[in-house]
Amino acid sequence: MSTAVEKEKRLMSSKRISTIEDEADVFEITDFTTASDWERFIARLEEILHEWKLVNHEPRAPAMKDLYATGTWAERTEEVVFADFRFTFTYYFLKINEVTASNVNSKKEEVEELDEDHKTPTVFFDLMNFENDFPSRSHFLCRWYGLQEFFTLTPVSEKQLIEGESKTKLLLSSASIAFGNSNCSIPVFIQLQQKWRKLFTGTSLVRGASIEFEMSHLRRLPSQFCHLAGLLDVFKSKLGCVYISMPPVSVSVRFTYILKDWFHSAWPQMPPDFTSICDGEVGYGDINILPFGACSDPISELHLSCTWPCLSEDMIVENSLYSDLDPLQAPQWTVSLQMADDLSCLLGEFLRDFLKLCDRLESTDEVLKKVSAENDGDKNAEISHALQRLTEPVPALSSIPSLGNVMSSASSRIKLKPEEAPIPEAILDKILYFLFPDARVPRSHSGGRLPTKNKRKESIVSTASESLTSSASEHATDEERKPDEEKIADALAELNKQLKSAPIESLTHKLSLALCNVNKNFGGLLGVAHLWQEFILEMRFRWENKHLISGIEKGTPNMGSCLLHQKLQMLNCCIECKIKRESVGYGYGPDSQNIYDQSLEDMKDLPDGLSAKEMKRLSKTASLLNSSDDDEEFFECHENDEGEGAGGGEDDVDAGEKRNGDEFVTSNSLEVTGVKPEGQDNDKHTRGAKKSASENSSEKSVFLDSFTHRPEGRLVAMKNVFLLSTGEQLFIPVTQEPSPMTEDMLEEHAEVLAKLGSSAEGSQIRARMQSACLVSDMESFKAANPGCFLEDFVRWYSPRDYVIDSEDGQTNDEMVGDSSDVEQNAGSCVARRGHLSQRMQIPGNMWVEAWQSAKPVPARRQKRLFDDTKEAEKVLHYLASMKPAEVVLHLMPCVVHAAIAKLINEAVEARVPNVKNIIDKVIANAAKVTRNFPLDKKKYFDLLRQLEIAESVTARTTSLRSKFTNDPLSTPEQEGKEEEIESFVTALLSQGEVLVKGGACGPAGANIHKMFIAAQRASNMILDDEETVDELADKTNPISHQDRINHLKRTIQNLPSPSSDVRSSSSCSDFPAPSSREYILRAMVPRPAPYSKVLPQRMYCILGEGENRLAGAFTSDSTFQ
Amino acid sequence: MEEQEIITTLKILIIGESGVGKSSLLLRFTEDTFDPEQAATIGVDFKVKTLTVEGNKTKLAIWDTAGQERFRTLTPSYYRGAQGVILVYDVSSKQSFNKLDAWLNELETFSTKHDMVKMLVGNKIDRANHEVTKDEGLKFARKHHMLFIEASAKTNDGVQCAFEELVEKIIQTPGLWETSSKNLTLSNHGPEGQGQSCYCVL
Repeated sequence: MSTAVEKEKRLMSSKRISTIEDEADVFEITDFTTASDWERFIARLEEILHEWKLVNHEPRAPAMKDLYATGTWAERTEEVVFADFRFTFTYYFLKINEVTASNVNSKKEEVEELDEDHKTPTVFFDLMNFENDFPSRSHFLCRWYGLQEFFTLTPVSEKQLIEGESKTKLLLSSASIAFGNSNCSIPVFIQLQQKWRKLFTGTSLVRGASIEFEMSHLRRLPSQFCHLAGLLDVFKSKLGCVYISMPPVSVSVRFTYILKDWFHSAWPQMPPDFTSICDGEVGYGDINILPFGACSDPISELHLSCTWPCLSEDMIVENSLYSDLDPLQAPQWTVSLQMADDLSCLLGEFLRDFLKLCDRLESTDEVLKKVSAENDGDKNAEISHALQRLTEPVPALSSIPSLGNVMSSASSRIKLKPEEAPIPEAILDKILYFLFPDARVPRSHSGGRLPTKNKRKESIVSTASESLTSSASEHATDEERKPDEEKIADALAELNKQLKSAPIESLTHKLSLALCNVNKNFGGLLGVAHLWQEFILEMRFRWENKHLISGIEKGTPNMGSCLLHQKLQMLNCCIECKIKRESVGYGYGPDSQNIYDQSLEDMKDLPDGLSAKEMKRLSKTASLLNSSDDDEEFFECHENDEGEGAGGGEDDVDAGEKRNGDEFVTSNSLEVTGVKPEGQDNDKHTRGAKKSASENSSEKSVFLDSFTHRPEGRLVAMKNVFLLSTGEQLFIPVTQEPSPMTEDMLEEHAEVLAKLGSSAEGSQIRARMQSACLVSDMESFKAANPGCFLEDFVRWYSPRDYVIDSEDGQTNDEMVGDSSDVEQNAGSCVARRGHLSQRMQIPGNMWVEAWQSAKPVPARRQKRLFDDTKEAEKVLHYLASMKPAEVVLHLMPCVVHAAIAKLINEAVEARVPNVKNIIDKVIANAAKVTRNFPLDKKKYFDLLRQLEIAESVTARTTSLRSKFTNDPLSTPEQEGKEEEIESFVTALLSQGEVLVKGGACGPAGANIHKMFIAAQRASNMILDDEETVDELADKTNPISHQDRINHLKRTIQNLPSPSSDVRSSSSCSDFPAPSSREYILRAMVPRPAPYSKVLPQRMYCILGEGENRLAGAFTSDSTFQ
Repeated sequence: MEEQEIITTLKILIIGESGVGKSSLLLRFTEDTFDPEQAATIGVDFKVKTLTVEGNKTKLAIWDTAGQERFRTLTPSYYRGAQGVILVYDVSSKQSFNKLDAWLNELETFSTKHDMVKMLVGNKIDRANHEVTKDEGLKFARKHHMLFIEASAKTNDGVQCAFEELVEKIIQTPGLWETSSKNLTLSNHGPEGQGQSCYCVL
């Protein structure tokens, strides 16, 4: 062996650049041309050791207590080849975090060991280190040999096995050579046989000694070895020397007991009764509630490990007849949990089922058609209807609730025969009332879609509503009771802020829950399509009949909410707009102030404002509206309007009077008679102006107009600002509000603007495109301030563009441009105080241009900037064209929102350890996913996975807590110790293995003991006589949960407490046979000869079902042998 | 270097009171010209420019907004998704400086990325009558965790620097932008100014 090493050393010397040792033969010619596979294999191993810098490396300090379980392990892997046999060569090691600590340690050692030739190698420390016996989690080799660093050499392919003595020896010696050459004392293991057997053999070369790692793995161990005494015999005989003077072997023992049946506490989760929604007993409040929890007990096993750490062999006896190792007497109890693997969680499954609909490509119609009555006549009607829609001119379609539209909703409503509808009608009604609670209140208008349908079901609805309110109030009180109320509130607030979804009580939110429920309980995709269709019908109904959508907050679409919610908000804006527009005739009260008041007020003079009152004029109004797209025709329409309904006009004025107060009153009388012809005049003038080439003349005509008309549409006076020409008070006009936009509209708009490019022309067009609002404001301004100039306008609109002159007199000289001409003509006396900024004076700039083209028209008679009819139809079309899959995806943000809210409530209530952290992570991810656009279903699946994990953690917590704090367990002696049990439970959930304080005598230990007793008694059918019948009945047909608990309570209370003499009273032991028994035997013994050095020897044994393993590390002196 | 791929497109906003020179700054940056007769912006305007900062070629989509009060009901909708914002005031107008708080408020309300990089630019330093000192600008920037620079679109002082600094900062902020390809050479310029203002000196 040693000669081979020498030879190899020479061969490799040129390769070792970094560490050329004291060999003089550097200049010798070395020949690698004939290197064999074997030599190359060794060379490769050495090369890797060099790469990983493990050559000559300093010994590590002994690992500190429990570091194996708590520290971090790392590994490095390379592939090596021996001929055609591929191996993975892996280095496992414990990461040393506390650099400083280990430094201090190693320094100490250096001081200690300076006298000696060498330091104690790491592996010696490890073999004898008592601090890390039975680590709760670590590599199995680490557990068996107590090593903090080692190599493994395992075949890559499953098919190639290392079998047979010679192969094994060859590999071991090759490794020895490589490690010896590299002066690396880290043990190396070679995997033998099939992988699952985890059978290894290994070696380690330490200066002056070598360690052999041996292992045997047997299905069954001869019975004479199945106890400590037998194992000690094996160990001693292996050491090969039975001396009288042999020091006692130190022994560590661990017995593990498994508790599988939880007899005193049934799994507390009652699966929600999905059928409840059908039978009508429980109200539709159920729709609001997401299921939560695990279907089965998430904790499958409890492992109790009783440990006797490092005893002397003299102190304990365990042989085939007698055992000192009573688990109750064990000094150390540790507990770990085995969780159920494929835990199915209610919430996770519920959501997953819903999200799965995203994969369905059918459109709503296609889905519904499958079940719709296949009636030929019907079909024809359908087709003709579709054709009619196609041929219908678009504006007409989008304008007025025509009879055709109403019919179409009615017909599609009938499309599903009641018996074929996936959602039974009664339930559909409930769901719709859940979504639209306001539908219960009888509407003033006749056309309530829901109320008419409901008449026969009045009673059901009323009971349902009661249950809804009661459940709501219950919920409220529940919340008050919660000790963690604040925590929950915080988390929920955070949730609302972070997610791009919809407010929790909004219609969108409710809709998402309702669709989820329908998917689960009423026909999946079909049900979803059905409800969605109903929803769209309701939306259209509300638009056409001017009912605001309840549960959707007013105001412009909130870009912080999901797109679907924005669309509904948009629709609500449209409806609101329409209501205002059409109800002006009835003297709409001022109490309904909101941001649209102005624009609505502006629009009250619009011709179609009368349509609400006179339904017979519907069609006519429709045509008016259509034409209103064209500015020129607008005023002609108005003429029309005036001729027909002077009464309506009167009303308008009255309404205006109420609103705008004083300044309106003065001009009221003239409003009807005077102003409208004026409008016509204006119109003619401007038309004339457009024809004329001269700008100046147009300017003048506008100017003239502005003097002749009466002020209109004043909002408020601007303080201390007076018109330049007349010196009159300057008034801020009533203006049109810019149109509300949803985020997709905005994006589209921005895209259009961006597409115009960076050029000057592009900018010009962009400005023009956006000038509608500016022109509208200018027109309003002109109307409110007769005789005004651009300067006046600028002073209100862009005050920084009106430069106040420091000195009088010089102004006129500086002025250039068209507008100043006019100004000079008109009233130069007032104009002296200032002038337009340079940029406003540029000839032909957009502002001047817009000013010139603007006619004095008050906002309410201008063309609407926001066309509610068009926008509403766009939204309705958008909704109607959504496939169920898209609906699902668009509602996912809300679903996720609800799910996380549910999770927060449950998790906080269950007092999940580290709950904040878990929830924060989920929220952060959800925020990212919901903000992502386009919506990505894969990301939602990932998110659901995360939610599921959080859910199962919660379920575990609930389960475990109920197991340890269940009523039957509490005895008088337990009182006051809840806290300790509580902290034990928390630790058990967050750590892998937990030490039981006080062992069997501690409060947690006592509980565990009771559990084992109960399980033992049940499994051995030991029953208290009078309860035998009950118990049997219990097992065959389970009775209710509460009964069972009561029963168990009695059973357990009848049990003697663990402190009394249990074993004598019952015929079986408290604990089952240990599932595994582990022993570690250690000794410092000279080997192989009595005069050899005293070296560490160790053997690990595990005896269990089907797994009997002995793993020995035997050191022998290589000098004195 | 010429053929280098564009790693990302960044959306930059320019906001501030009317007439402080937002469009002029943009024009100076994109076309290196100055137009004393720059018309007042209506609504929003838009320009594109590619910029290479620290070896990273980025495409900038710069949205220039109108400063007038009335346009403010319209323009904030374009704040969505912007990774950087340039807040401009006029050093010769105290009033334009005093309005900065309102602008920041608006930004807070309407921007979707809360870690967007903000830069304060004091424009028109070529003018003689300064009403806002550099120190005031610095203080404001520090208080609101912004980058700060004084500049002049007219004399081309600090304009290029301002945009470059802003882009560099955005690139250094992880999670703020998405890369369109992988060849990113992130300089290890470090987080020396992380969370607080850092200054570029003229």
